[in-house]
Amino acid sequence: MTRKWMIWMAMPVLLTLLYGCPKKKPATPPADLKVETTTVPAPPAAPSQPEEVQQPAAPHVEDKTEDPLQSADMSVVNDELRRRGFSGDVYFDYDESTLTDDTRDKLSRNADLLKSQPQFQLTVEGHADERGTNEYNLALGERRANAVKDYLASLGVAATRLRTISYGEERPVCTESAESCWSQNRRAHMIVSGRSNVG
Amino acid sequence: MRSRSVLTVLSCLLPLALVLAAQQQPPAPAPDQQQPPNVTIELNRGGVQRKMKLAFPAFRGSGQLAGEAARAGREVEETVRRDLDLSGYFEIQGPDALSGLALTGDVQKDLAAYRSTGNEVLLLGDLHGEGDRIVFEGRVLDLGSGQAVLAKRYRGPFAVSRRMAHTFADEVIRFLIGKPGIALSQIAFASDRTGNKEIFVMDYDGADQRRITGHRSTSMSPAWNPSGDALAYTSFFNGQPGIYLAELASGRKRPIIASGSLNTSPSFSPDGRRIAFARSLEGNVEIFTADLDGGNLRRLTNSNAIDTNPAWSPKGGEIAFTSSRAGNPMLYLMDAEGANQRRLTFDGTYNDGASWSPEGDLIAYTSRRDGAFQIAVTNVVTLATQVLTSGPGENESPTFSPDGRKIAFTSRRSGRKQIYVMDLDGGNLRQLTTEGNNDLADWSRAPAQR
Repeated sequence: MTRKWMIWMAMPVLLTLLYGCPKKKPATPPADLKVETTTVPAPPAAPSQPEEVQQPAAPHVEDKTEDPLQSADMSVVNDELRRRGFSGDVYFDYDESTLTDDTRDKLSRNADLLKSQPQFQLTVEGHADERGTNEYNLALGERRANAVKDYLASLGVAATRLRTISYGEERPVCTESAESCWSQNRRAHMIVSGRSNVG
Repeated sequence: MRSRSVLTVLSCLLPLALVLAAQQQPPAPAPDQQQPPNVTIELNRGGVQRKMKLAFPAFRGSGQLAGEAARAGREVEETVRRDLDLSGYFEIQGPDALSGLALTGDVQKDLAAYRSTGNEVLLLGDLHGEGDRIVFEGRVLDLGSGQAVLAKRYRGPFAVSRRMAHTFADEVIRFLIGKPGIALSQIAFASDRTGNKEIFVMDYDGADQRRITGHRSTSMSPAWNPSGDALAYTSFFNGQPGIYLAELASGRKRPIIASGSLNTSPSFSPDGRRIAFARSLEGNVEIFTADLDGGNLRRLTNSNAIDTNPAWSPKGGEIAFTSSRAGNPMLYLMDAEGANQRRLTFDGTYNDGASWSPEGDLIAYTSRRDGAFQIAVTNVVTLATQVLTSGPGENESPTFSPDGRKIAFTSRRSGRKQIYVMDLDGGNLRQLTTEGNNDLADWSRAPAQR
């Protein structure tokens, strides 16, 4: 296992030695690498890569593939994943970060989709309703995002593919001061935010 | 009253060539939604404070001023009167109230007339122009002795007229009351009026609202440093929320601590060298302290619950914070090194967002009462608690004025989030902001440095 890993880790280095260092690494793999993806089983977890943390902007690449999941436009990818049953949002009770049974079911389906598409990185945003202080709600959003992340990881999604961010009450989807709105804002929003460069 | 018949002529404001946006007027105060009480009772400090009766006739010389000089002169007069009125120390008889008196114009002959309506002191102002400058001389007379007890002269460009007035008003308060005024203090806050949430600063009365950040992201939670020349704040502009420092004079911004997934809610130590803040560790938020370059990071709390919103006490020995370790968010106190963590509030189901009074005896905070968020104040020694607001409107994030006599806070009572100020007994409510949503006010400790 460790040895396989080391080979994987060493490959970019070898490739770099052979072909030299590209000025800027494109976020999407060139077309010829795609063939490799189908023949080699993906590693269980993407090795941590500093480039991913910086979230390079999606390059404007002409989309020549038929599969929406291959699109360079991440909104197309997210639409397609939701069409396949991926839940973009799960909701929480007031001042709670525990996952309800319904939420666990949704996250289980999300985990299956993510495991079948190991190239995708997921950002989990934690949100809160407007009640209470902005600061407490940032902390609450952080806990909500991490509760979702931990549950997805427990279902086998590699933690290195999961990024969290809390927006607290700062980015509501609904702005009326009523429970009908607040319940929509107490959420964790899940969005595929990029591809790993491996595979 | 101290008697001092000196004609101190100093405080030329020549170097203050800053740009006070002359056209910006303070927003009109909102119609009072709470009736001010008849007497001023200072919360938990005992005693009723009697207001000093001050005669404030129209300033002399303003009739000879024209154009910009006339505008500046009017601004000086209105601002001095407003500052003294807002201070709450005085019962002012202005030109209208004094119009019934038979005044000769010779001050020494008019003393008895001024005294006849109960006045104890008389404030006289003289204005004249000197080219593109205005000269303002303010005097205070003791109506008992007829002696001038305070006299100051200020000279400066028209644009600094408000600052002249604030400076004089604070001198009057310092001399007559023996306490520092707040007319030169400022309030930092967050506003989405530009379309993004940015950090803003305004004068203590809501005038001259100006943008400090331009990150075009979400920036929030400004906290003044003790000397009043820089703000720590939270911003998302680099992705994850991190804490940054904005130096006001240079406009320079730099990170304090931005590593990890969440750093927020900065509060300066009284010596200005460290901040207490909230930081996420593997998904749970804890209280830390660090130097202003992020070094000497020290973790103070260790619970499985949320710990956030630290507020460093004015004397530096303690930090108040919010924790949900007992189920609901409640206020706690700890020593500045993290030891001796103890619960402060037990009332209500949600207490959060501590703000210390300058003397360190009171803590104001957001408290959920009967389902609504209100501003409450608790004495940290006696634990006596008072709720200062009522009704709906989600009142939150209080901050004490530097003299400890007022509290600014956020409320949704008019629909959007706006910043209001009230006296420590809940009276004299005034709205300071009107444009966009405005929240997370932090009142400076020191006079403005600019």
